[in-house]
Amino acid sequence: MRVVVDPDLCEGNRKCELAAPEVFRVGDDDLAQVLIEQPPEELREKVERAARLCPRQAIRLIED
Amino acid sequence: MTQATLHPSEIRMDDPAIFEEGRAHDIFRILRREAPVHWTPDSEYAKGFWSITKYEDIVHISRNPQIFSSERGITSFEPHEVDPNDVNARLYGKMIITMDPPRHVRMRRLVNKGFTPRAVAAWEPHIREITNQILDGIAKKGEADFVTEVAALLPLAVICEIMGVPREDWEKMFQYTNQVLGGGDPEFQTDVPEELRGTPEGARQQINLGTAKMFQYFAQQLAEHRAHAREDLVQVLLESEVDGQKLTDEDILWFCFLLILAGNETTRNAIAGGLLALLEHPAEKQKILDNPGIMPIATEEIVRWTSPVLHMARVAKEDVEIRGVPIKKGQRVVMWYPSANRDEDVFADPYRFDVTRQPNDHIAFGIGEHYCLGAGFARLEIRVMFEELFRRFPDIELAGQPARLRSTFIGGIKHLPVRFTPEA
Repeated sequence: MRVVVDPDLCEGNRKCELAAPEVFRVGDDDLAQVLIEQPPEELREKVERAARLCPRQAIRLIED
Repeated sequence: MTQATLHPSEIRMDDPAIFEEGRAHDIFRILRREAPVHWTPDSEYAKGFWSITKYEDIVHISRNPQIFSSERGITSFEPHEVDPNDVNARLYGKMIITMDPPRHVRMRRLVNKGFTPRAVAAWEPHIREITNQILDGIAKKGEADFVTEVAALLPLAVICEIMGVPREDWEKMFQYTNQVLGGGDPEFQTDVPEELRGTPEGARQQINLGTAKMFQYFAQQLAEHRAHAREDLVQVLLESEVDGQKLTDEDILWFCFLLILAGNETTRNAIAGGLLALLEHPAEKQKILDNPGIMPIATEEIVRWTSPVLHMARVAKEDVEIRGVPIKKGQRVVMWYPSANRDEDVFADPYRFDVTRQPNDHIAFGIGEHYCLGAGFARLEIRVMFEELFRRFPDIELAGQPARLRSTFIGGIKHLPVRFTPEA
């Protein structure tokens, strides 16, 4: 699984950071950074929750 | 009592009385269970439309703007004959709320830096100060119309400051907003002949007149900004470019129109509806009095519970199915947010107002491309308002019945009489 954030959509709402702090951090530029581009399976549930809760639906999960 | 036996075919979601009389949740419960993709047929005034009432379906539609377009308007009311002079038609594709990607993304990026959680957080001290000035206005009276004297004033002040509207014009912005978003309610149809008040034609005329006044006002503002540059969002828009092109005056005027309306009508109703809910559920109010630190969580519940924007609509760009129901290209699907936010498949005990509810994944601000730009301001204004209100007037109580707005678009409260021990 690969995680991609669309910078055109992200507005720094931080839902991803709260749902999966291991994988996302919102920087001072109000954009979510992906800390682990290919997170391990044990983080899948958290990452999926982050993607689901993103207000602007800016997170895409691409299956290998 | 008759509600329990109401059949979906008897339900018409174009009937504003459903909301004015506070019956909407009984209807939504029936629709979610029996007809989650429900057709309201053509009426003499508007084309038929699909009502979508399940959370999951609303998320799906919101996530797929390439199929479900915003460009042909975002309300349920589409006239049979599109009159090009009518606001309903003129706004097609003109505001960020009525744009699809990719233009939507480019236009929204002109302004969104001012609305991110970080940008909004910087406003907290000022918003607290405005809130206390508003509360000073009622403090000695011991009674008030909580909507017109309190709830309406905070979001109005904040959006007017963002837009650079001088204080002496705030009352105008309040009136024009009521005339556009509340134009279907006879109380706000002050510019139309008496015999038309309360009719769809009266609503159409009032909305057009309110829109014209808002446009005239901001056209004057643009001229003043061009003569003397200022530091506000209007100035930002005047200096903005998209793909190397300056915005047209029309683009900017639609932007101003949208921001003023969206910025003040919605949060007003979250605050007013929130207080009503808290006063009707005294144990929940007591939890906040005991521990104001729960206000961020309580704010989410207030927003879920009130869901002030009743719907947004999309138009199908191709033939498509939702839950096996065929939707034809060109037909309108209407997403009912109050219903999504009471969906039994998503929320535990959804009809319980619980200021400590967690998780609370409501979609009252929408989701996806068009997620409410002002959500951060709304949350901050609601939280600060209740922190200060309950600090100063902990014994606030209802002094009469709420008067609800006659609208299928905004879940509004026009008046809410309250009383409290006045400050010395």
